[in-house]
Amino acid sequence: MGESSCLGFPSKLDKIIIDTDPGVDDSMAILMAFQTPELDILGLTTIFGNVTTKDATRNALILCETAGRTDVPVAEGSLEPLKGGAPRICDFVHGSDGMGNLSLPSPKGKKDEKSAAEFLVDKISEFPGEVSILALGPLTNLALAVKSDASFASKVKRIVVLGGSFFASGNVNPAAEANIYGDPEAADVVFTSGANIDVVGINITTQCTLTDEDLSDLRESKGRHAQFLCDMCKFYRDWHVKSDGLCGIFLHDPVSFVALVRPDLFTYKKGVVRVETQGICVGHTLMDQGLKTWNSSNPWTGYSPISVAWTVDVDRVVSYIKDLLMKQ
Amino acid sequence: MVEATKKKKIIIDTDPGIDDAMAIFVALNSPEVEVIGLTTIFGNVYTTLATRNTLHLLEIAGRTDIPVVEGSHITYTKGTKLRVADFVHGTDGLGNQNFPPPLGKAIEKSAVNYLVEQANQYPGEVTVVALGPLTNIALAIEQDPDFAKKIGQIVLLGGAFFVNGNVNPASEANIFGDPDAADIVFTSGADVLAIGLNVTHQVIMSDDDRDKLVQSNGKFAQYISKILDIYYSYHHESYNTKGVYLHDPATIIAAVDPSLFTYTEGVVRVQTSGITRGATVFYNTVKRFMEETEWSGKPTVKVAVTVDAPAVLKLVMDRLINS
Repeated sequence: MGESSCLGFPSKLDKIIIDTDPGVDDSMAILMAFQTPELDILGLTTIFGNVTTKDATRNALILCETAGRTDVPVAEGSLEPLKGGAPRICDFVHGSDGMGNLSLPSPKGKKDEKSAAEFLVDKISEFPGEVSILALGPLTNLALAVKSDASFASKVKRIVVLGGSFFASGNVNPAAEANIYGDPEAADVVFTSGANIDVVGINITTQCTLTDEDLSDLRESKGRHAQFLCDMCKFYRDWHVKSDGLCGIFLHDPVSFVALVRPDLFTYKKGVVRVETQGICVGHTLMDQGLKTWNSSNPWTGYSPISVAWTVDVDRVVSYIKDLLMKQ
Repeated sequence: MVEATKKKKIIIDTDPGIDDAMAIFVALNSPEVEVIGLTTIFGNVYTTLATRNTLHLLEIAGRTDIPVVEGSHITYTKGTKLRVADFVHGTDGLGNQNFPPPLGKAIEKSAVNYLVEQANQYPGEVTVVALGPLTNIALAIEQDPDFAKKIGQIVLLGGAFFVNGNVNPASEANIFGDPDAADIVFTSGADVLAIGLNVTHQVIMSDDDRDKLVQSNGKFAQYISKILDIYYSYHHESYNTKGVYLHDPATIIAAVDPSLFTYTEGVVRVQTSGITRGATVFYNTVKRFMEETEWSGKPTVKVAVTVDAPAVLKLVMDRLINS
């Protein structure tokens, strides 16, 4: 395909960092990014979520090696959420290795010497206004970066967050989506940081699926990573049958990647988003749509609005994903 | 005509309030229902004033035969810092009209005892239409373990399902008024029908409709058109709409003619702490989660999803005008 025309980028490469917890659908998104030559991938930073942070680091290194991109640094992130304690891990969705229980050999490469938060702060300072972050897991690393560098939020070009569920049910429980639930305090810090943020909730991503037929088309394709990803998807697909009666998979992370490179395939609404950190609704994302003039101040008052993905052109996003996964 | 014996018995739990006044008048002028009593609660005003206003409204309607029972002055958790919405309804709750005090008195009984007593006297027959915070109902559930089973239905105005609230982005005023009580009522196992902002914000009385009330000779229409000013100005300022939301009247109509609404069924829990205190979170019971959740195994309730807004408005207008 005509990549540059398709992506609508300026000729200069767009610098990105992917903060990730691979993760089956993370792996898809990361390999899609590696298949996109218009992107200059400065590094991957890792976080717990689908797996522990240490496993996320191992998996990120495996993915770089799979893509033949061992030049891309992998910086390990926080082992636990901001408030401390053992993180919640979704091994029941992604397999105990996070990659569909494929028993892959250990990577040869090593993680970067810097922590994820240091790596983020350094790269954003090195290229102020140029680097976008695709955040596919809990937002602990980004929150640590915001807290350690007061200029981080204003220097980052754009943060595309996969997280939350806006005016829709969650996937951990009716109130909360998994990435936000993984570190609600961090999510609240990031959403209220003043950075230029586009957030893609599961109200959007669950509209975009690959069916069993799509997956077998993918397997039969000549896509560079198609076999690998299809093998990885088996375990993930079986979870969808159990949880949602879906014979196929949701494309949470790949959709968020498309939101990074093709924001024109989505519409957005602006509003202040806060995250609940207590009670039965911990992890609940609540956006003020701005439909009412409040007669007194409330916890949403005075923060910068962020962009919340409101609608998605499902057909074009899914075919964009399929094309990239089938690309040789 | 509906036979007197077939009329649905309703108790209105209320915090009048301008739209409560409309709702009470509509109920009194609806042959489908028999208002057997009114219980009072804080919300739009403090409970004492709610009682006074309820007595006053019954005197206006010439229905001093109906008992008024005063409800709780504090929240379920004995909270005394109450939020009252005097900026919506006026400091007197009825548009600052300086009405004379009522002649009648509330009966010597607590709202909780009255609710429990009526549910026991007419098991399965009494519908409680709850237009304010749910403190009285929660206390009745606490006092009588059979209340949830014996009460016919609880039709409540409360919550904001998959939309923003009206106290703040998370919370609707009635639920915010006593979130702990609301969570008890929603999970009590009673036949609960919740009418939330997602529905009541569709039922709007326009400036033109108000003119029709002013021009009519209806007793209720005349009274209501006198107290509407502050309610209209609040809506103009806060929502930039040319009209007012008919929260309480729409809820009364849900008891009078349930066919004007559609419903979904699921578990509703209320957040009782944090920045989203008062948020109502619905679980459709279809999606399966990996872990037990706070919604698992709780009884379901009905939540209104759509409303025939023109039909509800017409019914409200007709019953205020033909009076």
